[in-house]
Order: sequence, then structure tokens, then C-alpha cells
Amino acid sequence: MPTTPTLYLPGTSYLHRLHPLSKLVFSLASAVIIFGGPGGWVSAFFPGLFAMLLLWRAGLVGEVTRTILRLLTPFAVVLFLIHGFVNPQNQTILLRLGPVALGQEGLNFASLIVIRLTAALTASLLLMVSTHPSDLIQSLVEIGLPHRLAYLLGSPLLMLPQMVARVQVIQSVQQARGLETQGNFFQRVRALFPLVAPLVFSVLVDVEDRSLALEVRGFNAPNQKTSLTELVDTREQRAARWIMIVLAGFLLIAGIGWRMHGGH
Amino acid sequence: MAVINVQGLTYTYPGSTSPALKDINFQIESGQLVAVIGGNEAGKSTLCLALSGLIPALFHGQMQGMVTVCGMDTQQYSPGQFAGQVGLVLQNPANQLSGMRYTVYEEVAFGLENLGISRVEMPARIENALEQVGLAELCDRSPYALSGGQQQRLALASVLALTPSVLLLDEPTAMLDPQGSQDVFEIIQKLVQAGTTVVIAEHHLEWIARYADRIIALAHGEVILDGSPREVLTSSRIQEAGINWLRYTQAAHLGIARGLWSPNTELPITLEQTLAGFRQMGTTSSTRQET
Repeated sequence: MPTTPTLYLPGTSYLHRLHPLSKLVFSLASAVIIFGGPGGWVSAFFPGLFAMLLLWRAGLVGEVTRTILRLLTPFAVVLFLIHGFVNPQNQTILLRLGPVALGQEGLNFASLIVIRLTAALTASLLLMVSTHPSDLIQSLVEIGLPHRLAYLLGSPLLMLPQMVARVQVIQSVQQARGLETQGNFFQRVRALFPLVAPLVFSVLVDVEDRSLALEVRGFNAPNQKTSLTELVDTREQRAARWIMIVLAGFLLIAGIGWRMHGGH
Repeated sequence: MAVINVQGLTYTYPGSTSPALKDINFQIESGQLVAVIGGNEAGKSTLCLALSGLIPALFHGQMQGMVTVCGMDTQQYSPGQFAGQVGLVLQNPANQLSGMRYTVYEEVAFGLENLGISRVEMPARIENALEQVGLAELCDRSPYALSGGQQQRLALASVLALTPSVLLLDEPTAMLDPQGSQDVFEIIQKLVQAGTTVVIAEHHLEWIARYADRIIALAHGEVILDGSPREVLTSSRIQEAGINWLRYTQAAHLGIARGLWSPNTELPITLEQTLAGFRQMGTTSSTRQET
């Protein structure tokens, strides 16, 4: 059974030691600036570059780069092909290949999207690779997130290996009964229902057991909950979080103004 | 002193017309290992849920009678309030993982965090619980990387860390191999020796015969037998609970029919008792062929 369903990389770097909320605010503020800030690719480039520098200092840049390349390369190739050849804004032709032409404007637009996605992904990976999911959940509970909601947010991620293992069992059982799970698109779609239905039913059956197990371990006990790990927060980090929130808000407003004056 | 007191317990699940438990009455003394046996739908799991306080709190059926555990009436307290007093381990080990923790160590901490145990107190409790179930060396491993037997021991450790006075086990070995089952029963035996009251719903009669102090047999939601393992497992009424005699008891019955077992000798429920009985008749060699 796979046991590493999340992107978290255990470690002791300064990024690992930062309070989860600081990293969460950095990721969210970066996303706001990347997609909402003024200046197009400039707003995307600098938060992305800054996130990359932080990751480099923590020794995590290699893993993050590999993850970004793995996730974005196929998407970027498709994006450049589509916008390069069929974007209706294309006027400056760089290359003709028979009936189709590669346009400068389409490539520019695709580049902007890829830069924005790369930057946003880098900022969010900074959070994900250096933050234990349960620490993130704990930090949210500490600022008032109800623990039931925290459980709903956190548990699916860590239960993924169990689900994957179950899918494999169901797939094997159905294949043994003659279900064809390989082949063309239509054969695969036809095979979905016999795989998904038992998965959904078995998960629903397990829900009762799981809720009973949680109850007897005091999940809904009326007392104040404690935590095994202590999340260290500092005045500097709290100040940095507020600065990031204010900066993101300011750049978002500037970005709105910039777009109203024709920016994109 | 009775740590569990059940009086006139009748319980009907929502949407059902017939009760799952009918007029159940018994008391369980502190430090005993009591097994609840019976066929499918005999009411074993329902009884465990009632003793843990999950019935009536989470199941909105009709309950009559009274259940008190550690002096707490299950109708007056919530399951969360019972959590420190009563532990429950279910059949499927994977379903008992919180799904919120990365390591075995953190998984055991989950219940302690819920009960508000201080951070200073947690490590000792966690390490002790893991030590008890023999998982101390796997404390850094992912709960999902454990075998079924190890996961069941982890479920047990997660409950033991809460230091319950009463431990309820609902068919804890149903999904385990023989070695995993033996491991679980050895842990249970040690807990009982340390003074924990254990109630176990179980199908594996050979284990029950060996370890239990008392057996309660259920059939169709009613108690049909309540006594020592030997009294219950050799009773002719046991088959009303959908349970066959142990092979040792069957062998002795065959022995009686063939004059190989003295009708005055108590029927056996373990291999040792069987061998002793046949030896007494001086027929050890033929005994081996029969069994």
C-alpha cells in the first residue's frame, strides 16, 4: 500500500520550522498577487522567484522543481500548441507549417498563463512540502476552525492510500469475474460503474465504523483539546503575515485598477 | 464490585420491528474477561455498543432498561464522556485509524489530544501503550504501512493510551490470521491480569475457552447461557446460539458413546482437558485417532 499520499517532505529546515499559518498566508497572498496583481507577468514572476529562493535556501528546490516539471510540462506543451496555432488574437506570424501558422500573440498569452501557474504552484508547494498536514490542520483549529471541519479537510488526504488499496482490490476482483478494464475509451468508461459502485458502497459502510471509532476516542468529548506537537509562533512571523495580507490586498486593488485601464 | 451493570436492557434499532436485544440482565465484576458469543445477528455487537454508551447516544432506536458502566448511566453521559473510562475496539482495523495522523506514534496521540491530556503527559502514555501491544519499534511508521494484525494492535494501543477501566472488543480477531489473533489474545490476557475489565464478542471459541473467566451466550438478542467457559461451551443449549461444540467436547461425546470417556468426567473444552480425560480412561492412543 502506498504510504506517502501527500507532498510533505519530512525535514528540519527553517521552512519546516516556520509556523504553518505563515506559509499558508504566503501561499494565499502569492496566489492573489500572481493572478490579481498589476503588470501581467511581472506580478507572477516576482512571487514565484521569491518562493523559489526560499525553497532553495531550505534545500527543497530540487524536489519542488521536479514536481512542477512533472505536473506542468504536459499542460504547458498543450497550451503553447493551442494558443500558438489557434489563438484568434494571432497577428504576428512567426512560422508557417502548411495550413497552420504560429502566432506571437498566442505564444505570449500561453507564456503568461504558464508563468502564473508555475509561480502559483511554487508558492503552494512551499507550503505543502514543508508542512505536515496535521500541523496545518492544528494551526487552523488554533485560530478557531471547528475540529469537525478540520477533520473533514484533513482526513481525505491521509486516507488516500487506503482508498487506492481498496480500488486495487475491487479492480482485481472485478477482473477475475471477467470485467475488461483495459482497451479503448468506451471499454474503460463501461468498466467504471462496476468499479465505482462497490467503492462508494464500501466507503459508506465504513463510515459508521469510523465514526464509532472516533467517538470512543473522544472526538466529540466536551473538554478543551490539546495537541502532541507545539506549533511555535513568533511576533516577527505574526507581523510578516499581516504585511503579506496588506501587500496582497494593496496589489489586488492596484491590479483591478490596472485592468480597468486596459491591462490583462 | 460490579463495574458493569445491565438491567432489563431491550433495544430496537430505528426502522426495525424486532428488538436486537431483549431483556438482558447481568453484572460484570472488575478485572474479569467476559466473552459474549452467539451466531450472526445474536446481538453481540449491539451489546458492545450499548456497553460503550454509543447506544443510545448515536443510534436513535428504542432503549428500555438501564446500563451503567463504571457507575455512569449510558443514558446520562455522552460517548465523549465515556471515552476515558470505556474503550472499544472494532472488527476492521483499517476503519479505526483516525485518518489524521502520519505515524503510529501520532495515531495513538489522537485520542489523548481529544481528551485534553497535557502535552507533558502524552509521551509516557503513548510509549506505554505501544509497549503493551508490541509496536514500540514501529512508532515512526505510517499506520497505513502496517499489516492487518499490526493495525489491530495499533487500534488497541490507541484505546489503551486512554487507560480505560473497561475494554470492549467487538470481534477483534475476525480479520486477523492465527498469529495476529494469538498476539491480540495475549495482550488481552495481560490487560486482565493488570486489572482491566474486558468484554469481548468473539467467534474463536478455542481462544475464549482458554482465556475467558465467564461466557455469556446470546441467541436472537436474548441471553441463553451465562456461566464459566466449561459450563457454557459444553452445554447442550449452546447450539441454540448457532454454535457447535468445540471439537474437544465433540470428541468426548464420541468417547462416551464408544465407552472411551467416563460420563462422570466433566466434558473438556481444551486440548489439555481432553487428553487428561482420555488418559484417565487409559485410552490415550485411541484418543489421538478419534480427535
